[in-house]
Amino acid sequence: MTGIHGLKRAWRVISEYKLQIIITVIFLVIWLTFYTINPSAFANPFAYTSLMTVAPYTIIPAISLTLVVITGEIDLSFSSIMAFGPLIMAMTWQVQGEASLLGVILGLLGGLGAGLLNGVLITKLGIPSLIATIGTTFLWRGVVLVATQGFSIPLGEYRGSPVFSALVGRFGDIPIQFFWAIVLAFIFWLFLNRHKFGAYIYYIGDNRVAAQMVGINVDRVLITVYAIHGVVAAFAGIIATLAMATFYPTLGDIYMLKSVSSVVIGGTPVTGGVGTIYGTFIGGLILEFIEMGVVAAGVTGFWIRLVHGLVIIVALAAQGILRRREIIRARIMRLITT
Amino acid sequence: MKNIVEMHNIVKKFGSVVALRGVNFHVRENEVVGLVGDNGAGKSTLVKILFGIHAPDEGEIIVKGMKFKRLNPKLAYELGIVLIHQERTLCLNHPIWRNVFMGREITNKLGFLKISDMKKTAYNSLSQLELTRMPVETPVKYLSGGYQQGVQISRALVFEADLVILDEPTAALSLAETHRVLEYVNELKKKGKSAIFISHNIYHVYPVADRFVILDKGSVVAEFYKKDLTPEDLAEIMVSIARTGSVPEKYKELNLYGRTQPT
Repeated sequence: MTGIHGLKRAWRVISEYKLQIIITVIFLVIWLTFYTINPSAFANPFAYTSLMTVAPYTIIPAISLTLVVITGEIDLSFSSIMAFGPLIMAMTWQVQGEASLLGVILGLLGGLGAGLLNGVLITKLGIPSLIATIGTTFLWRGVVLVATQGFSIPLGEYRGSPVFSALVGRFGDIPIQFFWAIVLAFIFWLFLNRHKFGAYIYYIGDNRVAAQMVGINVDRVLITVYAIHGVVAAFAGIIATLAMATFYPTLGDIYMLKSVSSVVIGGTPVTGGVGTIYGTFIGGLILEFIEMGVVAAGVTGFWIRLVHGLVIIVALAAQGILRRREIIRARIMRLITT
Repeated sequence: MKNIVEMHNIVKKFGSVVALRGVNFHVRENEVVGLVGDNGAGKSTLVKILFGIHAPDEGEIIVKGMKFKRLNPKLAYELGIVLIHQERTLCLNHPIWRNVFMGREITNKLGFLKISDMKKTAYNSLSQLELTRMPVETPVKYLSGGYQQGVQISRALVFEADLVILDEPTAALSLAETHRVLEYVNELKKKGKSAIFISHNIYHVYPVADRFVILDKGSVVAEFYKKDLTPEDLAEIMVSIARTGSVPEKYKELNLYGRTQPT
């Protein structure tokens, strides 16, 4: 009997986490494929150091974007906030003549303000999130371009300062920014799954009317989610800027599609209500892995987009099939529980 | 018995459409009121005002002796009023235990969920309704309509609601499922709770209600104790109201409306 109960329990766990299992399997298959094609490159630890250096710029904004997508909304403006936050930091440092923590804090506050604006436009003015954040994407990018006149801001002289070391230094061979990605992923996982705020995020995405009916302040939760996403996007922009030791006014542009793709590949549907931080994290790793693998395989970089596209389609197709099966299963189960 | 809820002279307009025209309504402690009427009579609008989803244009609401111009869902919950609607108040992708506690989670001081406490309490509450066939971890989308209504009623039990509003809880349910939901309502009554049961099917509402309030075109037109009527009488009254707007002559003596209003 114990054996049967154990099996039942194991089956329940597997069915509860099947999306995460599938995404992990896809990740391992991709890794094995690249390893087989070019074993010397993929046996080299340097390849993984390189991956851990660049992956956080995609993964970190994708983590907070997951929250937005679970609520059934979207935010595209994070790509511009990734430039707006570090712009404030770089300008503060130029004025102060030193790499201060104040500059980082002001940069994060800039992200907070931009996120709050998104939240207010969407909840209080009722503008659909896609439209509102397209508007703020242009707004913040415009601010950055006007402020810099399109020129980059070199920050190389501040390299080696404590702020640099804390945000983009090395711990042995491991880039610190990868630790930040893991720490943020854990904190977001904790709040999403173990805190009532996370529960409200899921409820709003699953059934907004129900959430309102049980007294959840939907507007406040949504504004908070957008504000958090703004801060995290600014943080991702700051570490990307520090890693390159230069502020580029175009920073963030390439991460819009990559971060959104990470969320979607990771099993968070744009319809909201469900989704996981783990899936997003692995989704981001998959995208970065493909970039690295394509280059290591010796083909031109033009293949990267093509393989990205294929993986996204395969992941979405697998999720689509799973969800269809879920619908059928739910219909059958409803009959059984009658 | 004391009134748990009183609504006085409630008027609600949606643009030029008058949904409620000065409705007076009350529910007593440990009483099940069947709120009946044709489609568009104003039944749902009335309970949505009571639960705070809509604000009345005129009138006042008295809950447990406290006067309000309007309520909101959070306040309604705090006052012990819970609304149950067909699927509306459930998150289908989430497990039973989360749905039972939705909006009123058991947490520590920092707001982190006490998951095992929530699962245990949900199980105990569900077992009072004999709803333990499915583990509390089961997503609600896997449950039949009747079972889902049971989960919502169990939420009302966990929240220790004093008044449970059931808005068309038997719509789209099979006969067996409907019977089960009616049993849940009887269980609420046994536990000393009050309920408002909305339905346009008098054969669903008749077995559980103590009193019927009949709405027509935004006004209360009649009120009867169940003991004074058979289901067939009630059906005859409903048809007459739908056709002529008035109660048949032979039932006028039994009509309580205007006589039972709280002062």
